Amino acid sequence: MALDIDRYAHLGSPIQRWDPRFKIAALLLLILAIALLKTLPMAAAALTVAIVILLIAALPMHFVWHGMTFILVFLIPFFIVMPLTYPGEAAFRVLGLPFALEGLRLAALIFMKALSIVMISFAMFGSSRFDVSMLALQHLKCPRVLVQMLLFTYRYTFVFLDEMERMYTSMQARGFIARTDRRTLRVIGHFVGTLLVHSFERTERIYKAMLSKGYQGELHSMVRFHSHTSDFIKAAVVLVLALALAIADMSGHFSLAEQAWF
Amino acid sequence: MHISEGILHGPTLAAGFVGAGLIAAATMRNMDMEEIPKISVITSVFFVASLIKVPIGPSSVHLILNGLAAVVLGWRAFPAILLAIILQAIIFGHGGVTVIGVNAVMLGGGALVAYMVWQQRHRFPNMKRREFVFGALAGATATISSGIVLALALVTTGEAFAGVALAVLAAHIPIMLIEGAVVGACADFLQRVKPEVLAGQSTRADRG
Repeated sequence: MALDIDRYAHLGSPIQRWDPRFKIAALLLLILAIALLKTLPMAAAALTVAIVILLIAALPMHFVWHGMTFILVFLIPFFIVMPLTYPGEAAFRVLGLPFALEGLRLAALIFMKALSIVMISFAMFGSSRFDVSMLALQHLKCPRVLVQMLLFTYRYTFVFLDEMERMYTSMQARGFIARTDRRTLRVIGHFVGTLLVHSFERTERIYKAMLSKGYQGELHSMVRFHSHTSDFIKAAVVLVLALALAIADMSGHFSLAEQAWF
Repeated sequence: MHISEGILHGPTLAAGFVGAGLIAAATMRNMDMEEIPKISVITSVFFVASLIKVPIGPSSVHLILNGLAAVVLGWRAFPAILLAIILQAIIFGHGGVTVIGVNAVMLGGGALVAYMVWQQRHRFPNMKRREFVFGALAGATATISSGIVLALALVTTGEAFAGVALAVLAAHIPIMLIEGAVVGACADFLQRVKPEVLAGQSTRADRG
């Protein structure tokens, strides 16, 4: 299981070199614009923009693809469920079931929007170290407590993932096989319980260690942000794209996705 | 169970963020310095534990464990779930950035209902395997409450989604049984091994 989203943050593409504060602010606005799109042509344009951003970010394909599989598994069923369950008159029947084109177009809209947003979000958080991204969020007025907790949670996720894998291996070595039965569920319940007991004992130690290093409820970072003209220009380009998508979508030149393809 | 990016309308997304913000503010009241690292560390346990897959015949489902978060953290389960959802959106693109609010209300809200159920165990002081029964009820309640919120969010998006909403609710029934069994077993285990881990014990100050 790959949890380190910032594994390729060191690559020197224009996205990686972009001041994280500007990058996150601009890309979040672009994501917002895409989330509100209602027409298929603009959703396709958004997908193109997302692909271009991802290509500029130059993240390795296998890394991006691994991230995309989650969302694809979730989205593909929409192409089957939506046309079959869309209310009203169906265009034609498939195997005796009503198949509505409106449903298919709606599924295509959802698919393109979701995929573009996930791609942009990969480019956004995959191109800076996690702690730098979080600090940038703090600069953008995200509550300090939340940022601090996200940093802790992220850091200990790796510790407990290791611990969980170790425990699972030893459980398998003792003959445990996951099946569809009550015993498996009970064993998993006890497994999670053991993990929790360990972690409670560990939090006590972590907290004492932090206190002894002078923790007073604040985290301090050595990271300093510097912005240049190029950071502004990149942000401006992204904002213009976001505005263009939103305005074209609402201009009435394109039909709503439920009504037509164009 | 999450809702994905790209489905819901602007007003529903906005309502999700407002709701999540208000509930987070209410459930994080009086949080002291000591709790910041502790809740965060426990959240990472829930985060990795929710990666555990349970086989159902040829397929498998992930654990949700929002009910267990309620049983362990009480009202503070809400901020913990909010953290886990944000992290999931950042790391996996699972769920997504614009649906963080809706997902937090859905899963965190389920946890708050589950905590109310969990606290009812004090009414039955002499019950056998009380923690198992109420843990299981809490786990099941959390799942089904989240399922209902998810179905409602889908219905607000348009009647085209009514069919999907029904399918989603139906899919929650087996998950509810699995969550109930796992959370019940876990609560029973914790009661025997380290009861101070459980939230809302009468012997100690309430965590909420």
